[in-house]
Amino acid sequence: MKSSEQLIKIIHSLVPAEKKIKIMNVCGSHEHTIAFSGIRSILPANLEIIPGPGCPVCVCSESDIINAINLSNNPDVILVTYGDMLRVPTRQGSIRADGTSYKMITSPMEAISIAKKNPEKSVVFFSIGFETTTAPTAAILQMGLPDNLFILSSHKLTPVIMELLVKDTTIAIDGFIAPGHVSAIVGANAWKVFPEKYGIPIVVAGFEAENLLMGLIEILSQLRDGLARAGNVYKQVVRPEGNAHAQGIINKFFKVADINWRGIGHVPESGLQLRDEYARHNANVEFNLQPIKEEKIPGCICGNIILGKAYPSACGLFKTQCSPRTPQGPCMVSMEGACNIWYRTSSE
Amino acid sequence: MKKIEIGHGGGGRLTRDLIQEVFLKHLKGDHLHALEDAATLSLKCDQIAMTTDSYVVHPLFFPGGNIGTLAICGTVNDLAVSGAIPQYISLGLILEEGLPLDTLEQIIMSISEAARDAGVQIVTGDTKVVEKGKGDGIYINTTGIGSIVRRMSAENIESGDVIICTGTLGDHGTAIALAREEFPVESELTSDCAALNKMLEPLFKIDGIRWMRDPTRGGAATVMVELADASGLGIQLFEDSIPLRNDVRFITEMLGFDPLYLANEGKAIIAVSESCSVEVLRMLHNNPLGVNACVIGKVTSDFKGVRLRTVIGGERSLIMAEEETLPRIC
Ligand code: SF4
Repeated sequence: MKSSEQLIKIIHSLVPAEKKIKIMNVCGSHEHTIAFSGIRSILPANLEIIPGPGCPVCVCSESDIINAINLSNNPDVILVTYGDMLRVPTRQGSIRADGTSYKMITSPMEAISIAKKNPEKSVVFFSIGFETTTAPTAAILQMGLPDNLFILSSHKLTPVIMELLVKDTTIAIDGFIAPGHVSAIVGANAWKVFPEKYGIPIVVAGFEAENLLMGLIEILSQLRDGLARAGNVYKQVVRPEGNAHAQGIINKFFKVADINWRGIGHVPESGLQLRDEYARHNANVEFNLQPIKEEKIPGCICGNIILGKAYPSACGLFKTQCSPRTPQGPCMVSMEGACNIWYRTSSE
Repeated sequence: MKKIEIGHGGGGRLTRDLIQEVFLKHLKGDHLHALEDAATLSLKCDQIAMTTDSYVVHPLFFPGGNIGTLAICGTVNDLAVSGAIPQYISLGLILEEGLPLDTLEQIIMSISEAARDAGVQIVTGDTKVVEKGKGDGIYINTTGIGSIVRRMSAENIESGDVIICTGTLGDHGTAIALAREEFPVESELTSDCAALNKMLEPLFKIDGIRWMRDPTRGGAATVMVELADASGLGIQLFEDSIPLRNDVRFITEMLGFDPLYLANEGKAIIAVSESCSVEVLRMLHNNPLGVNACVIGKVTSDFKGVRLRTVIGGERSLIMAEEETLPRIC
């Protein structure tokens, strides 16, 4: 294997001085590695690596969070969800600050045991995230849910939102680093649409700095040679066809549905809802939840950051009113959020 | 099994018995015998350093020490990095009703041993008892005083100075995290809890020593940011020079902690002129607590704040710890 120093040299040799190149990562953990290992500081100035919609907490719609807050204030309900979701701000506050009965979980299995321990309550699992977190939720559905456990699904599909970004010419993405964990589920082949339909190279990469650099080299080589392929430099984990079992159970319990993305809006066929056969575990049905129109957070530009149109440092609240302790927008909450990562690592 | 009762803090017979049978038994010294209201002390110096710290660590016992060892070492180290020779220490205890007397005695024995090793005397103390459920076994406050032999200040540092770390970082924080059993990891790691005064005192004679700090809560990153802010200069740290035990590297990676932000209880970070750095390292290496001492960075006027040169040659900024990674670490 080549040293990082050699890899960086190769990257410099692959970027023509006169050309601006923009590569997007769509995974919070990739952005984390890029920022914490200082990759941007050693790349050619005309090669931009922009964070895209890779942070599941950031894109969860305000409507779903407000519904979750309200559910946790229902005396018959215990709301359970992942830790970061408790702190995401909305115009109605956050689950932690303004909810009543909620519990943090780290795995959906815990939702089952909480439901079993509290048979007199309805337990609602606010299940969010991309394919990576959908699979474990499908797994508990496969095991069979207790009668008093309901799913509030805010699951989203990564490839769909990426297609939306590609079509937006104001962003002008030259290549994608495909998310490693999501790819392990959907498979490297799932990204073929980008080279084949849009002529954009895409490469699956892992989370070590060297592996990401190798991913960049693969994309840059394709660009230099005028090619577009779906590559994979994370073969030890990601197979071309992905995880068939996980795909099978996701498909069994969930159907594709229109969904709202925070800061982006309504995106057709970009989310997952429980299939009608499992409606009796669907929190939306059980509690008759209605969509709530999103309100912009004054001053917060998370929407543009998620779309790759701005860096966190462009926000007027960044590092002033907005910090990980006092998050004003969703991108500052989670360790996968671009604003949170930049807060910890950037000198801007 | 005998346990602490409310009456142990009442100032009456039970208190007196506790003092005789536990505290004086283990802590008796030149100044702690008369049981008077205040200790009478003498210090021969122009300036004294005084520091106070409260200890609420959870759990009370952890690999490599307990709350008692911490309460002595922590306060001794605060004095030592201020250029003082630690001498006298006060001991305030807040006990929770129901604390087994054996546990208390074990902690007091550790305090006695740590004080003896550090060459400090416990000269006065106080005990209060709170009802069951209102405390967590035991909380300790120690105040220490020492004679200043060397003034140190962040204002002394200059561009070109070298940053030395006396040993591996993150050991205490990681050991406490593991001791809480929230994480299913087996390890031989122990806390680095130790009194640093014997190691640091010889350095006070070296001209080029500018500044010292023990990176406890907030870790090395936080004290570096404090130094950068106070001096108005920049600090460049080198990730590949930062000494880390292999198990700490592995465990922190797994738990998602950054060892630069984890607490240490037996390490110092020292800013020293470049010309004296070799001598300082040689002296540190002569002490068992300093065998892993090494240069981890340098002071620069090229930028303000703290920047880390990463292993792949990139650069990122370090900020002060935002929220406590682990509450009740000391
Ligand atoms: S810094 Fe805060 S307010 Fe600004 S975009 Fe990021 S999350 Fe929103």
